Amino acid sequence: MSGCSTPCDGPRRHGDTEKIRSCLRASVTPWLVGVAVAAIFSAFARPASAQGRDIGFRGFADVGSTTFAATQSFEAILGSATGVVFGGGGEVVLPKNIFVNVRASRFRKSGERVFVSGGERFGLGIPTTVTVTPLELTGGYRLERGWPVVPYGGGGIGRHQYEEVSDFAETSENVDVSFTGYHVLGGAEFRVSRWLAAAGEVQWATVPDALGDDENGVSQMFNESDLGGLTFRVKVVIGR
Amino acid sequence: MNISFRTRAVALVLAGLGAVLATAQEPDTALRFPLLLSDFTAPAIDRGLRDNDPPREPRRESTARIVRDEPFERGSIIVKFRAGTPAAARRAMLAQVDGFTTQALPYASFDIVAIDPAADPEAAARRLDAQPDVDYAQARYRISPMFTPNDPFYSRQWNYPAIDMERAWDINPGAAPGITVAVLDSGVAYRSGLFRYNARAFGIANGPMFPALGAVDIPFAAAPELGGPERFVSPRNFIWNDTNPLDLDGHGTHVAGTIGQLTNNSVGVAGMAFNVRIMPVKVIDTFWDIIFGSPFRGTDDVVARGVRYAVDNGAKVLNMSIGRTGPPAPVMQEAIQYAVAQGAFVVAAAGNEFLDGNSTPRPADIAPLVDGMVAVAAIGRDRVRARYSSTGSFVELAAPGGDTSRGGTEAGILQQTFATEFTETFLQGPSRYTAPRFDVFAYEFFQGTSMAAPHVAGFAALLMQQGITSPAAIEAMMKRYATDLGPEGRDNEYGYGLINPRAALRGMGLMR
Repeated sequence: MSGCSTPCDGPRRHGDTEKIRSCLRASVTPWLVGVAVAAIFSAFARPASAQGRDIGFRGFADVGSTTFAATQSFEAILGSATGVVFGGGGEVVLPKNIFVNVRASRFRKSGERVFVSGGERFGLGIPTTVTVTPLELTGGYRLERGWPVVPYGGGGIGRHQYEEVSDFAETSENVDVSFTGYHVLGGAEFRVSRWLAAAGEVQWATVPDALGDDENGVSQMFNESDLGGLTFRVKVVIGR
Repeated sequence: MNISFRTRAVALVLAGLGAVLATAQEPDTALRFPLLLSDFTAPAIDRGLRDNDPPREPRRESTARIVRDEPFERGSIIVKFRAGTPAAARRAMLAQVDGFTTQALPYASFDIVAIDPAADPEAAARRLDAQPDVDYAQARYRISPMFTPNDPFYSRQWNYPAIDMERAWDINPGAAPGITVAVLDSGVAYRSGLFRYNARAFGIANGPMFPALGAVDIPFAAAPELGGPERFVSPRNFIWNDTNPLDLDGHGTHVAGTIGQLTNNSVGVAGMAFNVRIMPVKVIDTFWDIIFGSPFRGTDDVVARGVRYAVDNGAKVLNMSIGRTGPPAPVMQEAIQYAVAQGAFVVAAAGNEFLDGNSTPRPADIAPLVDGMVAVAAIGRDRVRARYSSTGSFVELAAPGGDTSRGGTEAGILQQTFATEFTETFLQGPSRYTAPRFDVFAYEFFQGTSMAAPHVAGFAALLMQQGITSPAAIEAMMKRYATDLGPEGRDNEYGYGLINPRAALRGMGLMR
């Protein structure tokens, strides 16, 4: 399988489940992205007369809740693996109900540095702030059947900026890095007026091999490497 | 004093030829001395930095045993019977060694069994140890301090930059008074007072006799840089069986200084955890204790009781810059396990015996068996193992202990303690021999694993203040963040490496 090289090959032991999941995520997501992109191109390839609507431009803002896949790591440092995410972006709805959007969002939460020993967590009282800022490109399809609610789904790719800043840290000890991730999402949009709609959306993202490299990170101790997670959000959409 | 004469004299005295008491111990002496004449004396005298003194060897077990050439006390042994053993069965077993139980002692989970003073206590202990109803039996081995003095100001304290303490203090500035560190040692210069002792005659084998001085009034003062009375909690003296653990040597005071010397006060030198409280627990006897006829010696059982006392009275960190070689010490092991079970972290010096046969030190050998206790080796200013520092599988961490063989006097560890010319008066020969005084202080360079251990004890206090309350977690943290020295990974010279308080105090982030 592509994207599933050495670390995932070889005999699999009990306890490798998380690694296998990670491999599956890493190998399946490019396919999903590929399907989304193919759908967009196929829409453009159709004759104009066959298209169901004009091109529309929309903007949106959203707020949601993300639960990170690296549950133990986020819980150890931030007290919870779940936090509020604010976002917004722009979207183009193409003929044949295809849409493409770009979304930026931000998760930011403060906690403390810790030491974990024998399964016990000891807070050290040193403030730490983690900021995750994904910039995501999504393509998808809107199931417009004349219903008051329009279901939609899609997938895409993103660049996830990760920052971790602690008190008493030297510059080199703080973290400011970015990783590539993939996501799929689905939702339903309810049009409130001609120019205004609301939507509920769920997104699953994976950002493989982002965490777990540094011995001073709890993510290594917990063998958690994925910066992705599951997000539920509500959106306000302006535009047709 | 002529330096070469002094060095020779120290060697002679410390070589164990030294002190042969002219008379046997006088049991009633302990009832009269020390006699507190006054709580107040003249203020302590500060003799300043002693960086021109010649280097002195670290104190080894063989050099520290000054009065008796046997490593144990005669006339009694330590026995712990299994719970529920009937009194009749105990008596029957003790009859095999012609022994009987003495009165129960506080802070002791064991019995002291009196035996014939002419009998071999090791043989008697072995015989009882083989009985099914005996948990353990051992001779009362004598414990010694693990270091040696030299002579002092922060810029001379290379030991703190060597472990990145300045950045560590940024994170945790010296712990807090809520943490009590027990110094199980020769006592601490923690109070002032005028005490009367009876100085008996003694002699140096193949050397001069020193006259009895009779009743002598000895002035004591608190080490100015250890702080006021509020700094000390629950002082206890197991050598004189009282509540005045006066330091008659300087070792314990130096060790206490590295743990908690007042810092950032524009005076003198710095300590690791300069806000903690200190519990002076005297469990070892030194020259003057012996000359003055202390009723107890620093034996395994005395140390074990000291450990229990410290923990029962609230100590969270125990520093044991003491030790001995010889057979194992189950009585100390049991006490240390008790201490750790009560939430205290225990630090032991790894020993200074490398050049003297590298025998396994007790109680440092217990450290690998107990999560929550560490044995500490010494490094010099060059971050290389000090030439005297014992090696073995028991070594878990390394810390600055000084090595004057590489760098001279200033390569030792600097702290305030007694000015040695006022305490080691026997080095000046019988004609100039006078009573000591323990109210004159100087900044002295000492070296030894005794000096390394209190760095780790202070470090443990900082971690406890930072929120690491489990002794096992403290040990795990110290090992995880230790800077590897010597061969890659754990080794017998440095253990897991040189302590790194700053990295440990900073702990783990999510990613880094």
